[in-house]
Amino acid sequence: MSETTDRALVADIERLLRKPVYFRDVLAAVGSHPYRAILRAWSDIRTRHSLSRDEFGRYWLEKQ
Amino acid sequence: MRAGRTNEDFRTMLARMERAGHLLRAKRSIRPEHITALCNKAPAAVMCEKVEGYDIPVVGGLYWTRARLASALGWKESELGGRFAAAVGRPIAPETVDSGACQEVVVTGDDVDLTALPIPLMHEKDGGPYISAGVAFANDPQLGPNAGCYRMMFRTSRELGIDLFTASDLRRYYQTKFDRGEPLPIAVTVGVHIFEHMAAAYKAPAGLNEMHIAGGLRGEPLEMVRAKTGDVLVPANAEIVLEGELLPNGWTADEGPFGEFAGMQGDLKHNPLFRVNAITHRRDPIFFALQMPWENDWLNGPATEAACMRVLGLAGIQVAAVRATEGGCCGWSVIAAIKKRAGEGKNAIAALLSLPVVKQVVVTDDDIDIYDSDEVEWAITFRCQADKDIVILSGMKGKHVDPSVRPWDLPPGQLPTTSKFGIDATIPEGIPAFRYERIVPAFDADVRAEDYLS
Repeated sequence: MSETTDRALVADIERLLRKPVYFRDVLAAVGSHPYRAILRAWSDIRTRHSLSRDEFGRYWLEKQ
Repeated sequence: MRAGRTNEDFRTMLARMERAGHLLRAKRSIRPEHITALCNKAPAAVMCEKVEGYDIPVVGGLYWTRARLASALGWKESELGGRFAAAVGRPIAPETVDSGACQEVVVTGDDVDLTALPIPLMHEKDGGPYISAGVAFANDPQLGPNAGCYRMMFRTSRELGIDLFTASDLRRYYQTKFDRGEPLPIAVTVGVHIFEHMAAAYKAPAGLNEMHIAGGLRGEPLEMVRAKTGDVLVPANAEIVLEGELLPNGWTADEGPFGEFAGMQGDLKHNPLFRVNAITHRRDPIFFALQMPWENDWLNGPATEAACMRVLGLAGIQVAAVRATEGGCCGWSVIAAIKKRAGEGKNAIAALLSLPVVKQVVVTDDDIDIYDSDEVEWAITFRCQADKDIVILSGMKGKHVDPSVRPWDLPPGQLPTTSKFGIDATIPEGIPAFRYERIVPAFDADVRAEDYLS
């Protein structure tokens, strides 16, 4: 994980991904954070996990 | 830059559009995910000077209308197809130069971080932030250099998903490497002049370097510089260049959905990955967020009009004007005005519908202003008999992106077929032209409105 990645934000997004969500839903839920911090957190999640997608393109995180 | 050349760059084009009133500046700070909504609501293209958290401005909406496209090109709206056709007919090879503004800043290796770019989320159901204005440059030992337009989805700080789903030269280059288990080096520009962008959007036959067409559009050689990390040339005056390689993972990485050129939210796809190994840019780069669908569509409009002129010419028909319309995504719907001889209304329909994308056409006489929708509707109303003048052709080549062909019912790999139609709105054979004589206000030439209304 990069030293500039916000770990609390990563955890928040991982919680959101317990059910299928669009990327837009993620942005809306954590939109009080800087956009770049959200992208860094997203990068971290995508590097560490294989995200599932449904037929509508929504993301979710399978229970590890 | 070589003496005697202009090699107008992206930002000089923007300045010209701003002087013409086609580009406005947003002074207030904006979050990246709000830029597309702003561009959709603005009466002109928008330069977002302050993007929250970034020191790179974002511009969007440049080619949203025919008028803005013409302004970007510096051409008249009525000239688009004709001038594009002329440029294709007289390509000019690019020249390689030793240095370029696009490499004023070079970031490589572990310092590469795509989150440093204001890549915006554009549409409600997109799979992530997208680079929508990417022009990808690649090289093949047999086929030579190639350029094309591809969307790219942000995945990680070093990786983008790239849509290589449909047939293209880049897909062909990639397939060759993929079969050997090797990566394909590419470079992607974000922010090139419309001449390069439009040339890259043009589906030139393999072996013809699209940047020769860019030279034809410019009327002088495009100056290109070698990428820092791969054997690829890029326009020397680009704003931002992403250098890297398409990984040999094949069509396995989730990519999309994305708001497509047809104005509908597309499907989730599986595509290759683009690993970025270097980012080069100008000292003060501008990020171009091309807005779907119209900017994408208008990049192809002049090529469509040029193709229509070509097939009508091959059919021996004298063309007065051709217009690819917005509602048909600047390719699927075409209006043509011709100097008609007997039977040529139908001949023109047959010729135009033979083009792969064109799905509906209206053919008028050359007294109709085809840029005026009321004029076209008038011609359809009074010069067309539905039972005689509407031509329907079935079983023609279709496109998956069109839901009306029900592509989801097709077996994998099967191309859809479609029906097409044309309306012959030319004066029917046997009706004398005087039956269509227009009313003219008495003493029309003698009366000037400003003499009475000022």
